[in-house]
Amino acid sequence: MTDNEHGFFRHGENAYLANFSEAEREVLTNLVEQIIELLAERVDHHNDDPLAAMVGITAHDTPPDDEVLLRLLPNAYADQVDASEFRRYTESTLRQKKQAHAMAMRMHVKSAIDGVVELDHDGANAWLGAMNDVRLALGVRLKVEENSHEDLELLAPDDPMRGVFAVYSWLGWLQESLISALMDDSK
Amino acid sequence: MVKISEKIDEELQAIFSGDIPWITIVWDDPVNLMTYVTYVLMELFGYSKEKAHELMMKVHTEGKAVVSTGSREEMEHDVARLHEYGLWATLQRGDQGI
Repeated sequence: MTDNEHGFFRHGENAYLANFSEAEREVLTNLVEQIIELLAERVDHHNDDPLAAMVGITAHDTPPDDEVLLRLLPNAYADQVDASEFRRYTESTLRQKKQAHAMAMRMHVKSAIDGVVELDHDGANAWLGAMNDVRLALGVRLKVEENSHEDLELLAPDDPMRGVFAVYSWLGWLQESLISALMDDSK
Repeated sequence: MVKISEKIDEELQAIFSGDIPWITIVWDDPVNLMTYVTYVLMELFGYSKEKAHELMMKVHTEGKAVVSTGSREEMEHDVARLHEYGLWATLQRGDQGI
């Protein structure tokens, strides 16, 4: 995944371009599809009031069991009662917004012409949000909290986490390139 | 008639009149890039690059920083937007220790 040397760069007033190989586009699509699936609503037919569900209120107010989901949908309050109440009214909307970022990114990757992805400012923000969610998810699996980058770079060649770390690092680099293209804009 | 002590009375008044500000706190996270945190604070709050950078550095070095202040509803909105972009944020009453 090293044939893309530049990542994103600014093109004109409101366009950010990057060139991806077919392999890179496959990796990106695969990752965002996993995020989209992961963020799908918790199905709880017995408890959900369909009318409440329509306006984004759900019966579940407990934090997700899955460590990755908990990082993507964190508690808003240290207090458990307040956190549950807030979650009941907002978790569904948060899932949808994050899914929308990931779906926008998938669409941009799929519609790339000759591998070139072109984003406007909103598109760039969706990519940043989606890439960050993927990195947060991979970060939980890599236990970035406990392991330093130096430790992760020393993973054995046959360690399956080595590939995960390579993708995680590449996405960080790609995210960084898009941020510097955007920041250049706001000088 | 129950006599409410002056101090409690003051506090109740403050709660109902919304005088006690609430705060939004962003917590340090080992995954989020420093430049990304700066960029998100600029985008969501309209902060200058300098102010956003300063807040990010506070999060990075001290583990947390108050990034906005206002009513409870406003802070809930801010936290929801920060969560949308993957920053680790919570809200609480401003007069409680963090």
